[in-house]
Amino acid sequence: MARDMTTPPETLLDIRGLSVDFRTPRGRVRALRGVSFPIRKGRIIGVVGESGSGKSTVLWSILGLLAKNAEVTDGEVLFAGRDLLHVNEPQLRALRGEDISVVFQDPMTSQIPVLTYATQMRDILYRRRGMSEEAKRRRAIDMLSRVGIPDPDRRVDQYPHHFSGGMRQRAGIAMALLTEPQLLLADEPTTALDVTMEAQIIHLLQELQREFDATVVLVSHNLGLIAELCDDVVVMYAGEVVETGDVHDIFHAPQHPYTRALLECDPARIDEVTGKLPVIPGDIPDLTRLRPGCIYAPRCQRAFPACHVEAPPDFPTGRADGVARCYLLGGQYHDPDWPPPLDRFTVERGTAPARPRIEAPSRLLEVEKLNVQFQTVGAIQARLKGITQRHVDAVLDVDLDVRHGETVGLVGESGSGKTTLGRAVVNLVPSQSGSIRFEGQEIARMPEARFKPLRRDMAMMFQDPVGSLSPRKSIRALIVEPLQIHGKTGVNLDAEAERLAAMVRLPKAFLSRYPHELSGGQARRVGVARALALNPKLIIADEPTAGLDVSVQGEILNLMADLQAEHGLSYLIITHNLPVVRHIADRLAIMYLGRIVEQGVTEEVFAAPRHPYTRALVEGVPRPDPDRRRTHVSISGEVPSLLSRPKGCDFVTRCPLATQRCRTEKPPQETADDGRQFACFHPLD
Amino acid sequence: MNRFETQTGQPGIDASGLPEHLSEDEVRESAARERREKLRMFLTNWQGVTGLILVTLFFASAIFAPWIAPYDPNALDIPSRLVDPSLEHLAGTDQLGRDTFSRILYGGRVALKIAAIGVSVALVSGLILGMIAGFGPRWLDNLLLLVFDTVRAFPTIVLALATVALTGPSLELVLAIVIITSIPQYARVTRTATLSLKNTDFILAERSLGAGMPRMLWHHVMPNVIGPLMILAAMEVPVVVTVEAGLSFLGLGVLPPTASWGTILNEGYLVIRDTPWMVVAGGVPLILTTLGFTFLGEALRDIFDPRMGKGR
Repeated sequence: MARDMTTPPETLLDIRGLSVDFRTPRGRVRALRGVSFPIRKGRIIGVVGESGSGKSTVLWSILGLLAKNAEVTDGEVLFAGRDLLHVNEPQLRALRGEDISVVFQDPMTSQIPVLTYATQMRDILYRRRGMSEEAKRRRAIDMLSRVGIPDPDRRVDQYPHHFSGGMRQRAGIAMALLTEPQLLLADEPTTALDVTMEAQIIHLLQELQREFDATVVLVSHNLGLIAELCDDVVVMYAGEVVETGDVHDIFHAPQHPYTRALLECDPARIDEVTGKLPVIPGDIPDLTRLRPGCIYAPRCQRAFPACHVEAPPDFPTGRADGVARCYLLGGQYHDPDWPPPLDRFTVERGTAPARPRIEAPSRLLEVEKLNVQFQTVGAIQARLKGITQRHVDAVLDVDLDVRHGETVGLVGESGSGKTTLGRAVVNLVPSQSGSIRFEGQEIARMPEARFKPLRRDMAMMFQDPVGSLSPRKSIRALIVEPLQIHGKTGVNLDAEAERLAAMVRLPKAFLSRYPHELSGGQARRVGVARALALNPKLIIADEPTAGLDVSVQGEILNLMADLQAEHGLSYLIITHNLPVVRHIADRLAIMYLGRIVEQGVTEEVFAAPRHPYTRALVEGVPRPDPDRRRTHVSISGEVPSLLSRPKGCDFVTRCPLATQRCRTEKPPQETADDGRQFACFHPLD
Repeated sequence: MNRFETQTGQPGIDASGLPEHLSEDEVRESAARERREKLRMFLTNWQGVTGLILVTLFFASAIFAPWIAPYDPNALDIPSRLVDPSLEHLAGTDQLGRDTFSRILYGGRVALKIAAIGVSVALVSGLILGMIAGFGPRWLDNLLLLVFDTVRAFPTIVLALATVALTGPSLELVLAIVIITSIPQYARVTRTATLSLKNTDFILAERSLGAGMPRMLWHHVMPNVIGPLMILAAMEVPVVVTVEAGLSFLGLGVLPPTASWGTILNEGYLVIRDTPWMVVAGGVPLILTTLGFTFLGEALRDIFDPRMGKGR
């Protein structure tokens, strides 16, 4: 990199020319190639990229915690005058936890389940021999209270399973900060958390960073999180840094076509509802066989022949010492018109298909007062222990309609019962009371033998795109399986497989592959093809964009929209992703603790939420705009356990507007004049 | 300016329908390379190669025994009884002057028969019972588990002694005992694997399509549990062979004059004060077969079981 080689004084850690290979059976994966960026003291630096961009590999190379088949081929990581890639193991161990510590993605698996927090935190301070046990304990308690854990004196003696998910992540942050490290590495710290919890953790990290004056490296795919938190941003693509710069420059004047495209693809940044989301065409390149030229050229809308020949150098950009690696920014190929103004789009977004609007469409699915309960203790055990309440209510008195040709979004945090409701509709989970009518026919608690023909009309898409495909079956066999199950005879299965693959735009050659050989987006298309095989009327899609990158999720959603226009499908989309559902759903139903708290037309719900919980969700989404950072968090706390459902309104424990009446009485479902339904005594205007 | 259609927002796909960086040959090649890589891993694993050679020898010697054996295994030659190994009698002769080498080759046929039939029948029954236990209703699972545990709790030899008292010794009896005692092992492994598959997304997806239980078990559960089971079977073969030899040694298995490694050991034991060669000749193939199958099974497990993988 053509930066001056003297380390500026304020640089805490300097990564220079880092290259890492992974040895795999498929050959050497050149996961990082010449990655260079400085980490300046006292700043939060965000490393952003899609899956496969190598952002986590950078993080693990700093700590020397790469997998065994990794090999650092070149480069240096300078920290306090030492090259971390070439210090020995004892020195590295002294550094880890003491000078550099990590906040992990999943607090469930990164904390030791059999030790109390007091023990775990005492062990972290094992190098401080001069410190007494009592002092270590006091410090642990002090740190827990600083990350906002109530009653830390008592809770420090508890085990991780006593803590809820959000509390555990707070404790994880406390553990990372315990030694007052100079550098804090955070690997997707909010990915495992719900929206309302994410907002709280972002707020906490902001406060702590100011308080400790810490330097933080934040690795994430979430542009909103980066914009909310970071000062500097590094954009990575397929193992290279394509652009670095100040957060305002990156978000307001992105220079590299990839950065630009990535920002345009983020549904949270698209203000008008389009029904069609932008997509970066193509896939991430195969890093075992690198082609010459710019790494992004095969997917770049602005690529020209020179891009495929030689990789462009870095050109300086913006106010701070940002750089971007693209020919358009300087030299002989300089294009003075690049980048275009932000309101002109560089990636195509197509036009929404004209959906035939059915006037006053009839109801396809009607769910009425549906209850689903899960048994918590067996009958004998309950008798012995004198427990009367043997069940928890996962879905409680839910009313929901889906009309012909309509998309309904079912939104809620984890534990809200949205997935259970979806599964109860297709008879995968037994319901206890209430009714489900499909085209007027009562289907709740119908025996499987009679339900089977109905499965042709109702298909389900599952959350994990690859995991929901049987791993030892070829794609061809998987796609035609619904036809075989329902005994469709007289069709040419091979032709049918090709027809369905073409329908979901899956190349024919993929039919002979196996699920693990597909990317998330491709596997998701196979899921869509399977769902469509029997020409259903209703598709229940559980988190259709989960596990997909921003640049790919648009592709799937556009496909689903096209198919809806073509076949008049109805969708029930179960998701926690509000920015996405805003663009695709006609109506929204918000669920909390197994109950629907608000229901209405999507635009209206977003514009003017009536229930305080809806407002918290809408405001909780991090905005990918560094100028619109939130200064306050609208609700605190977490979703309570189903076992301790509040007596009055379900939301009362977290509601900022709660009154005495809310604590004792359950608010009934009300319908406003505009058709909006909500369950709240103090609706917002 | 761009090779791709920029209008549609579709992934760049060339005429062959494949993503731009992959050709059809490369896809096929990558699958072939993965197979070659597995083969190379196997061939560079000394245990695996040794195991394969020993197992091949075992099969070949048993199958081709009638052509390789220099003598009829049951032909008596009293004058040259208990001779030491020589070019004429490669492993010496027994107390009746029968050629021990020929008897070992024919004895291998008994071992192979028991191993092949015993292990495969036990594997199939264990697989089916285990899948039913894992996938079926809770009460059936508990009932089957109780049966498996009861059978496993029974010492093999005691079970054999008790049964022989009723039926008299025979090869079929040995087979039956081998099968009955090893079914629970396969069934338990299968049940555990099935239980962990039962709530995966892809089984739920099958249920949501309306797939019946036979289809789910045959098409979606079995292919995913059979792998570890095959490795278990490879490691079970030597156990079965030694059980047969042990029962025959105790006189509960194959009846004289049929040759079996166990009966050769038994007869050798009677004449051990005169000559050690019969015990040696009966023991060596037993040891080699055991080693061969164990090595092979372990090498296969190392290569094919992803849970044994390396790295983080």
